[in-house]
Amino acid sequence: MASPAATSLSGAGAREPLDLYGRPPWRRRAADRAGWAACLLALALMGAPLVSVLWGVVGRALPGWRWDVLWQPATSQGGGLGSEILGTLVIVAGVVVVAGTVGIGSGIFLSEYASGMAGSVLRAGSEVLAGIPSIVLGYVGYLALVIGLHWQFSLGAALLTLSVLTAPYIAKSTEAALRQVPTSYREGADALGMAPLHAMRRITLKAALPGVVTGLLIAVAIAIGETAPLLYTAGFTDNLPSLRWAHNPVGYLTYAVWTFYNQPSNVFQDLSFDAALVLVVMVLVLIAVSRAVVARAGRHAERN
Amino acid sequence: MSPALASTPTTPAQWPEAVDLTTRPVALRTCDLTLGFGSRTVLQGVNLGFPKGTVTALIGPTGSGKTTLLRSLNRMNDKVPKHWHQGDVLLDGQSIFAPGVQLMALRRRVGMVFQRPNPFPMSIADNVLAGVKAHRIASRQHHKAIVKARLSEVGLLDAVSDRLGSSPFTLSGGQQQLLCLARALAVGPDVLLLDEPTSSLDPISTEHIESLLRALVPALTIVIVTHNLAQARRVADQTAFFYQGRLVEAAPTARLFEEPSEPETARYVSGRMG
Ligand SMILES: Nc1ncnc2c1ncn2[C@@H]1O[C@H](COP(=O)(O)OP(=O)(O)OP(=O)(O)O)[C@@H](O)[C@H]1O
Ligand SMILES: [Mg+2]
Repeated sequence: MASPAATSLSGAGAREPLDLYGRPPWRRRAADRAGWAACLLALALMGAPLVSVLWGVVGRALPGWRWDVLWQPATSQGGGLGSEILGTLVIVAGVVVVAGTVGIGSGIFLSEYASGMAGSVLRAGSEVLAGIPSIVLGYVGYLALVIGLHWQFSLGAALLTLSVLTAPYIAKSTEAALRQVPTSYREGADALGMAPLHAMRRITLKAALPGVVTGLLIAVAIAIGETAPLLYTAGFTDNLPSLRWAHNPVGYLTYAVWTFYNQPSNVFQDLSFDAALVLVVMVLVLIAVSRAVVARAGRHAERN
Repeated sequence: MSPALASTPTTPAQWPEAVDLTTRPVALRTCDLTLGFGSRTVLQGVNLGFPKGTVTALIGPTGSGKTTLLRSLNRMNDKVPKHWHQGDVLLDGQSIFAPGVQLMALRRRVGMVFQRPNPFPMSIADNVLAGVKAHRIASRQHHKAIVKARLSEVGLLDAVSDRLGSSPFTLSGGQQQLLCLARALAVGPDVLLLDEPTSSLDPISTEHIESLLRALVPALTIVIVTHNLAQARRVADQTAFFYQGRLVEAAPTARLFEEPSEPETARYVSGRMG
């Protein structure tokens, strides 16, 4: 006796020819629509706060916008955000260099060399580090650097603390990206007798660049946006960042957003919104630049 | 004929008559090579010499160990988890497994082209130069000439000369394979290992690669894995038949196909097995 499946397969002749214009059953259409609606709703839930923040910040900052806010130092009457902007930029650049080097290096190690026990331990450690609340790391940075090493509130302390905070993200995304690189690239490089580091630089890391850049981007976004760990390590000042990187406090934008907003004067509240706007623009520029970098590096990539 | 194939070096009619394999020195030889992965033995006591300047075809049914043997000739199996081996492989009489052997140098001398084309994600020109740069074979000012020479050697230059800077993934599968061949040739290997290089190519590209291989000997020693028996007959001076991890028979190609001495070989080459 033929099974039902066999009947339906062999009995194709008995079936109506498929109507190309027939609409799918209403159940399927309903499920389809519901699925789309759910996705849209999720998108709206995510987008709404973003739009509201942009609206609030831009709407408040733009009307009284003065370009000299970008370079004027702050004064007791108001002034500008010059030192905070420079401070944030220097901190971000430092984090890219320090956390970028450490994070990408660890990511390479985790994906290429750390197998078995050692790898698992390192990976777990890195995940724990990523899970520690930033304010705790800030306090640890304070104890270790500001107190322990007799530094003061400073660029150095802020930078190192933020780097510890962000390096795990970079390591994680670098490792994940490297694991995605096709084996055929690695074997091709091996078969040419390429030195491992050469192959890593010229081929593997390049193929993994989008993932690495994503990690860097998250790290930098954190570095731009964090306040808590900086309260313990950077201190705050209206002065420009100085070369005495371990001993002079440094100003940064998130602090300006927060403190100036709590000042009674309108001038300072306006400055607070200006700082928020500058932060938003910085993040946007950052995203645009990283996209351009990835696009340029990926111009010879597979599946373009 | 497409422009890519216009510079075909030789045609089948001009291929050399059978060379006397016994009088040639061997470039590469496996000595009682047994290897496997974990508890599995994949190759059993393989003794096979590859005479200098000749083409050897490895044939045999799926899973008979051809790829595994090929990959052990430049130690590509080293990185495979749980890989082990006994016996030896000699390159010009010296063990490639000896403690001091530099993998990078070995692989520069024993090049490889894979079954699936695997160009790197860099420009076409940089693909040809990948090995050249890695080994610092030539200074910068010679790079352009090398690219042109290698691409024209494999017959790809005309098709790509106006887009050397673009992505290799815009090329057809066959062209990508030719590019990989050019890349392997650019480091100047003595031995070239090819794993079913034409299995995804059309007959014209296949014929082109076959003619190219004939043009590369006797300067190079070539080992080619193929499922295409007609291809083995066309290109190989020597053919080796593998069955279930054993080398059943290796002989000059014409003899292996016309008067095989083992019954398995006879069954396989007559199409009754495999
Ligand atoms: N990494 C590995 N781990 C375990 N077994 C393997 C591994 N690589 C190959 N094998 C086994 O070794 C045997 C020979 O494989 P190999 O790839 O050499 O065959 P082949 O002759 O090239 O076959 P085909 O013609 O299908 O390419 C197969 O049974 C395969 O399952
Ligand atoms: Mg194979």
